Amino acid sequence: MNDQLLAAVSQYGAPALFGIVAIAAIGVPLPVTLLLILAGSMVSQGAMDIWGAIAAAGVGSILGDQAGYAIGRWGGPALVKRVSSRFGKRVDLAAIEAKTQAWGGPGIFVTRWILGALGPWMNLASGTAGYPWHQFLFWDVLGEMTGAAVYISLGRFFSDRVIALEGVLGDLSWAIAALVAAIFLGWRLLVYLRRAPK
Amino acid sequence: MGKRWQTIVAITLALVLAILGTFLFAYRAGRRARRLHAENEPIRAWMSVPFIAHTHHVPAATLFQAIGVTPRQPHDRRSIRHLAHELNKPVPELIAQLQHAIDAAKGPPGGSAR
Repeated sequence: MNDQLLAAVSQYGAPALFGIVAIAAIGVPLPVTLLLILAGSMVSQGAMDIWGAIAAAGVGSILGDQAGYAIGRWGGPALVKRVSSRFGKRVDLAAIEAKTQAWGGPGIFVTRWILGALGPWMNLASGTAGYPWHQFLFWDVLGEMTGAAVYISLGRFFSDRVIALEGVLGDLSWAIAALVAAIFLGWRLLVYLRRAPK
Repeated sequence: MGKRWQTIVAITLALVLAILGTFLFAYRAGRRARRLHAENEPIRAWMSVPFIAHTHHVPAATLFQAIGVTPRQPHDRRSIRHLAHELNKPVPELIAQLQHAIDAAKGPPGGSAR
């Protein structure tokens, strides 16, 4: 299916890009990074306007993110309660909400583009935890427009190396994800070691 | 071994894995980045002829001519799969024709392009 999507963007340009990134933002695993790099390459070839490409990718992603947030907001708490009661545990939604308030903004920003694979989950989690919509929208717009501009510009600059560049960016985002996990685990270990044994 | 130590060992193992992952993927990204301009882009079925021409630095008209297709105006962005279907040819055959045309247009390694 990825081939058809890439061919659609190559043939129909910004409208196809808009639709595909919106669907991907809801949670369907699609090659968004490659599509944005391809759009940048098409800009370089004169087949697409750069502002049109950034607007299509940015607005499409934002609409998809909003849909994910809405699903989490209206269906999330009920689903969490049902699943947790089935496993005999009570989930403290108020505690999750407090954590999301503290970490939400930067978390939403980085999962729009640097750790894009986590974006749809972050949308659902933000909605479920009741993260304020206007703050979600702010970080979402900032992250998605930044991501669209960065990836499309990279595609424009390396317009003849689309596949190779996608490989580099894929490895780089895994390296960043592993680094974030290492920092978090290191911090947890430090907290645990400092805590006096019971 | 107490529960406290089990947790410490588990977090330490996860931390080691995360650090190894960071170095592994950073190394792979660096190695790929160094070879970014050294390797030719592969030809895939979703690509259009002008896109392939751009990535291989050959004129699009040369590639259209090589596969016997008259390009649509002003932009012909039909994919290789689409063209193969229209020409009633297998996709690998069309890709091989394009690759042959690219090699011919660039000339032998070390020689001047035609």
